[in-house]
Amino acid sequence: MIGLKDSILRQLRRLCQQPVYIIMAVMVPLLCAWFFITLLGEGLPLRNPTAVVDYDHSKLSRQLTRNLDATELLDIQYKVEDYRQARDLMQKGDVFGYFIIPPNFEKDALAGNTPCVEYYSNMTYFVPGTLSFKGFKTISVTTAAGLVSAKLSYVGLTSNQISSLLQPVLIDIHPMGNPWTNYNYYLTPSFLFGLQQLLIMIMTAFSITVEIKHGTSIEWLKTAKGHIGVALIGKLLPQTVLYTLVTWAIQALMSQFSHFPMNGSLGWVLLAELLFVMASQSFAAFVACILPNPRLGMSVISLLGVLTFSFAGFSFPVEQMYGAIAIFSYIVPVRYMFLIYVNTALNGFDIYFVRYYFAALLIFLYLPWLAAWNLKRACLKPVYVP
Amino acid sequence: MSIFKIIGKWLVDTARVMRREFTVMIHDPGLMLFFVALPLMYPVVYTLIYNPELIRKVKVAVVDDSRTPESRELVQQATGAPSFALYGYATDLSEAREWWAEQKVYAILYIPRDYAKKINRMEQSHATLYADMSLLLRYRALMATMTALQLKQASEITLERVQAVGAESLGVSGLPVESSAHFAGDTSQGFASFIMPGIVILTLQQSLILGAGLLGATSRERRRKNNGHDPLEIQNVSPFATVWGKAWAYALFYIPASIYILHFVPWMFHLPHYGNPKFYLLYIFPMLLASGFMGQIFVILLKEREYVFPVIVFMSLLFLFLSGLTWPRFAMPAGWYVVGNLIPSTWGIEGFIRINSNAATIAQNSFQYCALWIQVGLYSILAALIYKRLKQLALRTGGARA
Repeated sequence: MIGLKDSILRQLRRLCQQPVYIIMAVMVPLLCAWFFITLLGEGLPLRNPTAVVDYDHSKLSRQLTRNLDATELLDIQYKVEDYRQARDLMQKGDVFGYFIIPPNFEKDALAGNTPCVEYYSNMTYFVPGTLSFKGFKTISVTTAAGLVSAKLSYVGLTSNQISSLLQPVLIDIHPMGNPWTNYNYYLTPSFLFGLQQLLIMIMTAFSITVEIKHGTSIEWLKTAKGHIGVALIGKLLPQTVLYTLVTWAIQALMSQFSHFPMNGSLGWVLLAELLFVMASQSFAAFVACILPNPRLGMSVISLLGVLTFSFAGFSFPVEQMYGAIAIFSYIVPVRYMFLIYVNTALNGFDIYFVRYYFAALLIFLYLPWLAAWNLKRACLKPVYVP
Repeated sequence: MSIFKIIGKWLVDTARVMRREFTVMIHDPGLMLFFVALPLMYPVVYTLIYNPELIRKVKVAVVDDSRTPESRELVQQATGAPSFALYGYATDLSEAREWWAEQKVYAILYIPRDYAKKINRMEQSHATLYADMSLLLRYRALMATMTALQLKQASEITLERVQAVGAESLGVSGLPVESSAHFAGDTSQGFASFIMPGIVILTLQQSLILGAGLLGATSRERRRKNNGHDPLEIQNVSPFATVWGKAWAYALFYIPASIYILHFVPWMFHLPHYGNPKFYLLYIFPMLLASGFMGQIFVILLKEREYVFPVIVFMSLLFLFLSGLTWPRFAMPAGWYVVGNLIPSTWGIEGFIRINSNAATIAQNSFQYCALWIQVGLYSILAALIYKRLKQLALRTGGARA
């Protein structure tokens, strides 16, 4: 095509001349990938710091304390005499929960007076709060069950009979695709895709609007023989290659080196990533066409890009949000990338079930052409408003 | 010059820089976006996203191979729970799996053929829940429902069985120890109540860093145009007084925003808000100062105004994770733990959450509070060194390398 080769060469020169491109497009994403994979490397935070308040000081209460400490979810770091001390430890952040054994615990338990143990979990930190709750609950139930089964075995019941007595219905829960409830496997990919989208969108808008700021847009358009479409393709294509390779490298870091689950077809995931990169670029180019002012365009993109982590439903499900807010999740490419990833890589579904998401990513590619005329207008008369 | 005169001059210089910085600030529309619109709008938008708080009505498919009153009762009890919504009965697991793949359901409850038979034979009866793991919150809500269901079934059936085996005489009528759980800080276990106190602190820090970086980068642009001089700068003032004057201007400007964010936002949205205003407002001040210095440090990376977007915006996400809000700090690798120590928001979030949600005092968070002041000290020195270096370089090269 006329001027396409020159436009591409011109953009390649720019990519090499300004270090910000290589830093933001290659080094930062890879660094962030390393950051997330290693930060959440443990998968599930075990040995949550907790405290026990033992008002009973009996054989049974000491046994209970040992059981609490023995579970992998808890680490009893403090044994205190008074609940006020325990609360103080929680307010200082030294523990994420505490367990209170009431006075006369052993006596009441053996006499059948059903004493009540209490436990507090600090839910201001969701993960350790939840896990300490789980640890407390499991141990209090199993300790109680242990007491009964000791009694029942005296009257000659078998262990099968005992468990059928204590737990007549057992609901096994199978977490599909992530049986370890590993946080790394579910947090890292979605947040890295979100981050990729943010960086790609900002850098795309930056690379377009900076031409207007520096008044080089006239020469940029001239290289493309006056065709704004050719100019845009020439500018975006070299970056597409760069971003796609980096996204694939991140995918390799996750699924090849860190053994994240890949229960579906890796090839389709890689193709989705290519489309996701192009969709993110197109989205940013669209915004830059409408708002060719560098600051305004990038402000809108940053605003949207940062909020994406919330409304794309990476942690709080979209179907639970208010309708007016949930709508926004459908206007960002990463939502579709996320759905393709979890449904193929994690759940192992066939590509047929994510066909609409591929189509949605393709629709983004048409966006810039709707507003390119406005960018051309701005390029011909570059005005910089700081 | 006596020591008092030196201190007096330094204070006057700082005040002059501060006054000039205020003037520069209010004449920059780009800055007003960061300093006013961001702190005003972000907390509201974020809270609206998470405000539904709890996960309700997760759609579940049921495969009932038992087809008995017992199995129907189990499904009925599950449907009664707020987090469980029955999507429909599938004929077999493969149909249910197809519904899951089409994202009509997020879990499958499978009741095997011998479910009722085992209950009536006084054996342990099994059911299985297959849960989608793309989001842990859905899984968590369903798991809590299933555990409660299991206990409910136990209390009903166990009593019958104990009577049947004649163990009543032993005083066994269920579990001999009761337990009661309490959730501190976020009593409803809502998601907005958990995440918002942290997000608002991060918003304060990030908007301040963005703004301070923008102002610094604009000054560099002015140096480039004016042979290394910044015409809007107060002359003959030490670098240390300059960076302090700027940081004071930012921190003072942020006091109304801090009151709005720390006091009124939690109040408006009924988020946890148990702290004493005196404590959290005092506590946050060194974080504002430290963020102001950090923004001035980042100026070294910002050649032009527009660089703040690519260079600083993405850091919000890293700072959020380093703060330990999502992933507890005790489970982090040592290296990232140390990096987290360097970020003002790490201490800001920790302290604010404890004061605001756990009703702690500043004294209980004295370690974090001191850490913030140490950051203020260290970052002010670093910011002054960077300011001095950038200025000298600009003057020496006549603005070519500003």
